[in-house]
Formats: sequence, structure tokens, C-alpha cells
Amino acid sequence: MLRTTDKPRIGQSHVAALRQQFNGAVLDESWQAPDQVTVTVALNDLPGAVEMLYYQRGGWLSTVIGNDERPLNGHFALYYVLSLEGDEKSYVVVRALVPPGQPEFPAVTPRVPAAVWYEREVRDMFGLQPVGLADQRRLVLPDDWPDGLHPLRKDAMDYRYRPEPTTDEETYPFLPAPDAGLLEVPLGPLHVTSDEPGHFRLYLDGEDIVDADYRLFYVHRGMEKLAETRLTYDQVNFLTDRICGICGYAHNVAYSTCVETALGLEVPERARWLRTLFLETERLHSHLLNLGLACHFVGFDSGFMHFFRVREKAMRMAETLTGARKTYGMNLIGGVRRDVLKSERTEVLRLAGELRVEVKRLIDMLLETPNLVQRTQGVGRLEPQVARDYSPVGPTVRASGHARDVRALHPYCAYDRVPWTVRAQTGCDVLARVLVRVEEFYESLAIVEHCLDHLPEGPILVEGFRYQPYKFALGYVEAPRGEDIHWSMLGDNQKLYRWRCRASSYNNWPSLRYMLRGNTLSDAPLIVASIDPCYSCTERVTVVDVRKRQVKQVPYREFERYGRERTDSPLK
Amino acid sequence: MLKLLREVLKVGEATHPYPFAPLPVAPGFRGRPQHAPEACIACAACAAACPSNALALTNDLVRGTRTWSLLYARCIFCGRCEEVCPTGAITLTQEFELAVMNKADLVAQADYRLAACRVCGRYFAPAKEIGYTLALLQQNGLPGDQLEARRALLETCPECRRGRNAAHIAGLVEARQPEVA
Repeated sequence: MLRTTDKPRIGQSHVAALRQQFNGAVLDESWQAPDQVTVTVALNDLPGAVEMLYYQRGGWLSTVIGNDERPLNGHFALYYVLSLEGDEKSYVVVRALVPPGQPEFPAVTPRVPAAVWYEREVRDMFGLQPVGLADQRRLVLPDDWPDGLHPLRKDAMDYRYRPEPTTDEETYPFLPAPDAGLLEVPLGPLHVTSDEPGHFRLYLDGEDIVDADYRLFYVHRGMEKLAETRLTYDQVNFLTDRICGICGYAHNVAYSTCVETALGLEVPERARWLRTLFLETERLHSHLLNLGLACHFVGFDSGFMHFFRVREKAMRMAETLTGARKTYGMNLIGGVRRDVLKSERTEVLRLAGELRVEVKRLIDMLLETPNLVQRTQGVGRLEPQVARDYSPVGPTVRASGHARDVRALHPYCAYDRVPWTVRAQTGCDVLARVLVRVEEFYESLAIVEHCLDHLPEGPILVEGFRYQPYKFALGYVEAPRGEDIHWSMLGDNQKLYRWRCRASSYNNWPSLRYMLRGNTLSDAPLIVASIDPCYSCTERVTVVDVRKRQVKQVPYREFERYGRERTDSPLK
Repeated sequence: MLKLLREVLKVGEATHPYPFAPLPVAPGFRGRPQHAPEACIACAACAAACPSNALALTNDLVRGTRTWSLLYARCIFCGRCEEVCPTGAITLTQEFELAVMNKADLVAQADYRLAACRVCGRYFAPAKEIGYTLALLQQNGLPGDQLEARRALLETCPECRRGRNAAHIAGLVEARQPEVA
């Protein structure tokens, strides 16, 4: 089944506006889907074009893709993906070619701050220098990685190559303290409960956070390179499951859709509904986990235990529907692998009913806990303007007054056929982010029930299509923490030529710095947890007194205790 | 606070007695893959589909064997092997307790005989796979004489087949060449 190409194209006004403003700079335009267009512009007009779409036409930066297209057209290519959320909602991709003889491009970051991480990553992975980007530090590659070795260049290295570390010491140059006399507090390098490393540095004036800096990517797994070199299209599905321990299925759907869109493949209706069902099941357990953690971080540990107890029902729903507690291994390119039996449907509906009643009781209890409001209101504010500049996603941005939800903006799967509403808050603080999740939990539960009651009949998988080399497209999913976006270019050897996946937390990290500013040290774990990143706190805290040149180690437990009880500061 | 106490009393004990009582899993749960060696024809469809390289087939051309092996430590229980197996030799069970004291116990293995090429005598393909192909052809009504011709073809290694084809074509070309006076 091939998609009919006579659907009206959405986004033509954006392309027309680009052509008008950048006369002659628009070199090419190609449509991947009725609402996806890639516009090639002259390299020097790249920042201007991205800025215009971002600020004048309601654009948000979804992802940036670097691609080594030297074997195809002799150039490196950059793709800036903008989700346009004004009157005409579509994806516009601004593409520019970088000559290999002069591997540099004008940085977009000075005009659109949201691009900062992406441009640092492109410099690491492809050796393309963003001219005008103030931050010269590495983002993804280790600090002792060999200079000039850019892993995603096609001629760079074998995917199994792992250079030995040259030093055991942390060599990352953190930002200098904004003011002498401030305390520098490194948080990290390891998280004690989720075993995930990340190194934070907080700059304190007394107990108040003045600024923050962080170094992540200690566990970069090189999945994109692995997929390009070793896996076939269908095998990559099972790799995408493992990108995240929470929103694995969201990544899986995003990947499948991008390949399907690139091929113009129409996924059967029943498969679309099943994907919606599994995605919402995943959101249920993710939001319950985060609500549990919210209890934990404000010192309401009984609530934490109870949220995790009822979350077990959501896990059971996933196990019943998909055969694994995590919604693993459900997709292939072209649809889903497994249908829902009548007995499974009955069981899941029963669990959903129980879940609604039990979670309602817990949420009422949580919201009545005086500690919750007291600890979270006005804390970790993400100002709407900062949010606008940095393109955060998911409950993080929806709590700051921007009702951005991919499910509504660019409907995929069956979200345009299922009744539901986007939930947003205007509090901008940790409390608002908790409330967004509370409301979304009920929405998800209703979507799950609706899907089970209204599953259309029919096949669940298309087979027997042919892959076409060098076609490319975007795939996107609103994961529990926000938009997951994938971009694939198909290859000519039954493998992907390039696969770019961007998890939701990637867009939320850069704005975290602004959420931390102006809060106290004891609120830091709470704020980090409120964006629900893949980890939230730290193994231990090293306190550096810049004035006295003293270093103090605070154990993780002590720091966590202080975050909850807020007495006996470990800094004294 | 009272509400919480009431909730606690209502719920009672939330912990399951596992491992002192078996833990029930959902009926469609995907657990340890079970291999049926007698049904397997060592065709390697499973290994080609396996995303995590848990399944591997290795040839020993001296002994004339092909070893099917599954490393449970790598298995991600996706069930692709079960899906692609032409003879239904792999089924996913409901077992999930895979911890072992000895790492070597995480490997399941089965050896299959390789057939030797009729022409050059070198081992090249699993005997069972050739047998399976012939049985399929027979079942689909291929007459006996043609079946024998096919058997001769299937029991010849690709290299020899190519050589024989080349010689055959060369013969044809020569036959068409006009005599030079």
C-alpha cells in the first residue's frame, strides 16, 4: 500500500516565505510527506533561514542532523529540523551543504540558542566547525578522545573501535565560576539509584544557586554508528527499544515511522491503533514513576512506595499486551508483530479500571500533603521566554504555558482519531510539572480504554515492499518526557545510511541551567528530577570553597537527606 | 495521614513471596527460547534475523559439521527467531530464571552434519537443509526423474555448479563457432 501523493501539502506558505526573504538562496525543495519538506539553502543563509522560521513563523527546533554525504554528492550536509506550530503546522527541514575542503559553517546558536547542543555534537561527530559558537568544549566525545577522529564520518573508524582512556582524572573544562567568592559544588559523577553518570557543577552564593554547568554523555553507546554498520532495517527496531529504559517503545515507533514515511508506506489502520495503545501504556508507567519520585523528593516516602505499588499494575498491562514488562519488541517496519487477544483485552481493561481508582486515591493524598505545595511551588521556574528560546519538550515545556504536544500538533498513529486533550499549566515551576503529569495520566488511561474498545479490524503488518536507497524522512512521537524524533536515510545495502535519534531529555537539559538559577542547593535534586531525565541526582557532592580553596565531600545520602529535611546543612 | 493509614490497611501485604513461591507471568510472556534440535535444519534463518547476535552458526569444514548455538546472556527475548524459523524449531517459553553459576551454562548448542559436494568432495551445506528442500519439492509434486536431477544439483557446491555452468556455456559457444578454413 503506497501513500497517495495527491494529499494537499501543508507547509507551502513557510517555503514561500523563505523564498521571498532569501531571494535566490533557496536552492532546492523536496517533500518527504504531505507535512514534511526539506529546503536546501545556501550555507551562508543557514542561520538566517533557521532564525526566521523559529521566531517569525512559530518554529521550535526539534533536532539537527549532520550527515556525511561525500559518497553521494561530495559534501557534508546539515539538516535543521523545525517543528512549525503556528497556523500552518508542519515540519520544515533546512538543509545546507558544507564543502569537505573547508569543513565549517556559520553557527545558528547566536541567533537561536536551542541549537547549542546540536552544533557542539556535530563538531564532535563530523568535525564541522560552527563558526561563531562561543562554547568550544566537547559535548559527546570524551575529553581525551583523539583529536581529528570524528566517529560518524564514513571513513573514520570501525564501529567497535574504543581508544583507551589517557587519564583517570576528569579533564572537562567546566565554566569558570561567574564570580570569585562563590562556592563551586560538583554533583556527580555517578547516580546511586539509576547507575547513570552525569557530572553537575553548581555555583553557590551561600545556599543559593547562581549558575550551573553539567557534563553528560559518559555513557554514549554509539548506537547510531552501530545501526549504520551492523544492523538491518528490522533489527534496528530492537535496538531502538533499548535507547531508553522508559520510553523505548516511543523510540521504536519514531524509528519505524521515519523509515515508513521515507518509503511512502501506509501502515494498516489496526497497527496504528495498536501502536497508540502501547504508547499510552508506556506513558502510564512512566508518569507513575515520576509521581512516585516527586513524593520521594519532598520527603513523602510512603507515597513513593504506594505509587510504585500501583505502578506494578501498569507494568502488568504492558506484560499482558506485549509479552514483556517493558513494551519491547513490538514493531517491524510496516506495522506491529503481535495482535491483542480477547482475553488480554479483558484483562487490561480490568487493570485499567483498578488503576484509575487506586491512583486517584494516591494523587488526592499527594496533593493534600502540605509538603508538596510548600516544596514545589515557585521552585525551579522555567520562564516561558527561556522555554521559547531553548525548545524544551514534554511536561517540562507544557508546565510553562506552551501547549506543545506532538500528538496534537503533528498527529501520528491514531491520535487524530482518539478523543483526548493536551494538558498544559502556567505555573512554570516543579509543581506545575507534577500537575501536568497527573492530568496526563488520566488522559492516557482514557486513551488506552478507548483504543481497546474501538480497535478497527484488519491486518497489522504490511510486507513485501522494497527499500529505496537514499530516501529519508522524519519520525516523531510524544514520549512520556516529550518529543522523541528520529531521522533516517536509507542505504543501498539493506542497512541505514544514516540514522539520527534524539531523545526527549536532550532538548530539556540545556534549559535546566535556567531552572536551577536562583534556587537553593536543597532544591537542586527536586528540580533535576522534575524534568524527569534519565537520572536525577548524584552519587556524592564535592563542595569547593573558592575563597578558602577547600574541598569537601558530601556523601550522596547526606545530600539527599538535606534535600528532603533541609536542616543541618552539609556545607557548614 | 489517616487516609494513608486506611490505604495501608486496605492494601495489606503488597510483596509477592517469590522466590519461595513461583511468580506467575502473563500468558503471552516471552521468555527463554527453546530449541528443538530434531526439527532444526541448520539453515541459519534465525541467526540472520537475530538483532543481538545471540544466535550463531559456525561451520567446521574439517569435521564436516555446523554448530547452532544460542548464547542466553545476549538474548533479548524478542522472538524474531521463532518468527522466521521455517520448521518451527524455536519456541519462546515462559521461563525467565536464567541465572547460572557457570558462564558456560548460558550456551545452548547443537551440531549438524554438513553434506560433501558430489564433485569436489568439500563440505558446503547442512545435509538436513538439502533433505528438507528435496522433501518440499517432492511434496509439491515434482516428478521422480526431475527430483533426481534436482538432487544432483543441490548436492553440488555453488563453486562447482558455477564451474560446471561455465564449462557448459563455453561448450555451447564453441559449438556455434564456424569452422575456420
